[in-house]
Amino acid sequence: MSSGVNDGTYLILDIDDFSTKAVLIDRTAEGYYIKGMGQAMSTADLPSLDVTIGVEKVVKDLSRKVDKELWAAEGPSKTHRFLCSSNTGGGLYMMVAGITDMISTESAQRAALGAGALLVDVFSRSDSRPDFEIIERMRSMKPDMFLLAGGTDGGAVKQVLDMAHLIGVADVKPRFGSEFKLPVIFAGNVEARKEVSDTLSEKRYATKAVENVRPVIERENLGPAKEAIYDSFMQHVIVHSPGYSRLVRWIDEPLVPTQAAIGNILYAYALKRQVNLLAVDVGGATTDVYSVYNGIFNRSLNADIGLTYGISNVMKVTGVQNITRWIPKEMSEREVRNIIGNLMIHPSTSQTPDEVLVQQAATREAMRIAVEHHKGIASRLKGLQVKRTVADIFNQTLEPTYLNMMKTQVIIGRGKVFAQSSIAEATLVLLDSLQPEGVTEIMVDKLDLMPHLGMLSKVNPEAAAQLFSKECLLRLATCVAPRGRSNRSEAAVRVRMVKSDGVAVEEEVGFGELKTLPLGNGETAKLEVTPKRGLDVGMGRGKRLEVEMTGSEIGLVLDARGRPLDIPAEKDVLVRWMKSLASDPRPRIQGRGAA
Amino acid sequence: MFQPEERGLQENTFVRKVRRMPVTGDVLVKTGDSVGPETIVARGTVVNPDIHETSLSLQLEVDPEEAEKYLLKKERDEVKRDEVIAIRRSFFGRSTKVCRSPIDGTIEAFSKSSGRVLIRGMPIPIEVNAHIPGKVAETIRGEGAVIECSATLIQGMFGIGGETLGELVMAVDEPDEVLAAELILDEHKGKIVVGGSLVTIDALRKAMKTGVNGIVVGGVDQKDLTDFLGYEIGMGVTGKEKIGLTLIVTEGFGVYPMDERVFSLLKSSQGKKASVDGSTQIRTRMLRPEIIIPS
Repeated sequence: MSSGVNDGTYLILDIDDFSTKAVLIDRTAEGYYIKGMGQAMSTADLPSLDVTIGVEKVVKDLSRKVDKELWAAEGPSKTHRFLCSSNTGGGLYMMVAGITDMISTESAQRAALGAGALLVDVFSRSDSRPDFEIIERMRSMKPDMFLLAGGTDGGAVKQVLDMAHLIGVADVKPRFGSEFKLPVIFAGNVEARKEVSDTLSEKRYATKAVENVRPVIERENLGPAKEAIYDSFMQHVIVHSPGYSRLVRWIDEPLVPTQAAIGNILYAYALKRQVNLLAVDVGGATTDVYSVYNGIFNRSLNADIGLTYGISNVMKVTGVQNITRWIPKEMSEREVRNIIGNLMIHPSTSQTPDEVLVQQAATREAMRIAVEHHKGIASRLKGLQVKRTVADIFNQTLEPTYLNMMKTQVIIGRGKVFAQSSIAEATLVLLDSLQPEGVTEIMVDKLDLMPHLGMLSKVNPEAAAQLFSKECLLRLATCVAPRGRSNRSEAAVRVRMVKSDGVAVEEEVGFGELKTLPLGNGETAKLEVTPKRGLDVGMGRGKRLEVEMTGSEIGLVLDARGRPLDIPAEKDVLVRWMKSLASDPRPRIQGRGAA
Repeated sequence: MFQPEERGLQENTFVRKVRRMPVTGDVLVKTGDSVGPETIVARGTVVNPDIHETSLSLQLEVDPEEAEKYLLKKERDEVKRDEVIAIRRSFFGRSTKVCRSPIDGTIEAFSKSSGRVLIRGMPIPIEVNAHIPGKVAETIRGEGAVIECSATLIQGMFGIGGETLGELVMAVDEPDEVLAAELILDEHKGKIVVGGSLVTIDALRKAMKTGVNGIVVGGVDQKDLTDFLGYEIGMGVTGKEKIGLTLIVTEGFGVYPMDERVFSLLKSSQGKKASVDGSTQIRTRMLRPEIIIPS
């Protein structure tokens, strides 16, 4: 890695299988700003087989755009700090193993997912599969890396060694370069380190021991395992990808998986604003969910749930009827199925209006499936003895998952499906699929810059935070949604909004309806929300909530459709919901200015 | 439907096929050999996934830790079905206990702590053929060979079923004609049948029953394909379907007249033998189904 470069400006790249995207960040007396962005095809795959060809192209293109020399003879010029994240080859493929499903294995799983990995399989001593099947599976699914956990410090040793023995016997080969040794990170009982290392022979595995992910039952310690994953990613995995050995000589900070960089910026943002946050990244083949609740970060990944290559799998998992129910017009099952099939096989084709409707319907289901799965990952530590009192029956304190929509202040959508939608469509997709409760800010990543700013947050958190808020996120709306149900057409919520200039607006919304109150970007207002008896906006049933809100593209959305949301069979209701949010012509997200 | 830049269509081109086994074995051809599509290029064996677990301690009625001393075989020894692999003799043989192998195979592992033995089935023979007629351009040591020929190559958008061969036969006159069941004839057995804008589920079923090797068509209803297969496709990775029929869709799901150029190329090749493969992987590798018509 190079060093000694300008510390105030940054050239940051994110590389995936299809594109290499660069951003140049500069600063003035007022602060940091995005000077330019560029994109080129990725070249890690055939026919080029050298990632640096795409890097050179995108940096030279960016040079022309900003009229500044960013490329020297042998790589990027040293005028900027050069950072990079990567997701080529489908990302970081990991296997995870532990002793018990619910304790060490789950903690190891959280560490691997938090480091941006795609889990190809998870093994434990409580696995119902016989040993030979586990061995076969380890052999057949070649990962990039293995994370082994198990035993609290000073606890179980034998079971850890049993699992290490299985890994040893399986002789697991890495995904790329069978002649290389597979990196194994041991993050279990410190007292088993030597024996684990002896069991996993040096001839076959590059073993590294780090602090236990679960040193005691009551506490998780994921940081050291995550750092070890990043180190191994750099030292053992990424260098085997075409051209990366050259690329890593140019960068000023270690290269990390794209998803880890995204996690960095979301975590930093949630901590800085002291909010609970839920973000969903819906891609073509995968859907990632990130959450930060009470300062605890979690990430989960649905590897086969997406909107192009993965869209048929969304239909397979949820059923065609669950997708059709979101489409705001009558469409036969055959039409829906054919559109889904064609979205899968023609991922890059421009879409017809019907295809857009089907894809947006599938987005709702993809997000719903992904968030359901995330609840299992974002859960309180299992294995603890919990004393329950009568009072616990009436509150949520012992809920198995951290995810609580009433306590979620910010939700963020990321993916092409949002960038290509109108503001109203993106907002409705997020409201329908995540069903926020209470008061929630709804945002999207409008510039696809999360990985870049995640890299930046490690070296310049202040610049990253500033750019993330101002340039990357687009505030769509602030949603007020009561939990509970009421009779249709009865008034559900009354709202009084007092803007900073003193102008007051009052509005009432009937149960089952959506309404908006405009409050533009940069404006602020005080909000008094009074739900009807039986409905709760966060203060208890029928109790008034007072809160300050900031403006956004739509302003305030009063979502009185009830929670959980009942999806109506009548298509005209779906059309009315969209019309409640949309003004014609519908402004689109792509090309919006800073929030 | 198909974007021009997406379509892989090359007339009289040079086709190079790497024919490789997933394991090492014997390569049966040498560089410069002329091969037919059905010539076996390489032959080998793969590990049998079938493993049987037998408890010696239960059958010999001893503690698991004791079982090892009665074992007659060691790891990697071959065994035959019903062959005695462990025996516990008693005085005068009155209560002698034996443990027999449930399959032909090899002893994979023995666990001293549980007294269980794992027996893996005999290796499964596999072979790879040339798939296309041509010359062996090079051999891949222990794995296979590279075959080259001059041919017309047409890529489809989606397919099911793996590699097959057959004479091309037109079942329709126009690219917008539907390939219905009545157009599938007994004489199409073993052939590659070309349709127009759509193949119906009845036509697919009749083709399978008749023994048609492959169908090339503009479109198919996704619902019909799901019903035909009996399961949802899920991720776009195909080629391993065991349905005895390869289907190649050249345009997409629904009714799509076959591209005029593709249709006329297939029509002008009627009677020629084609090598087709329905294998599709849409993600990353972008493997599309293909029809190869040797010149």
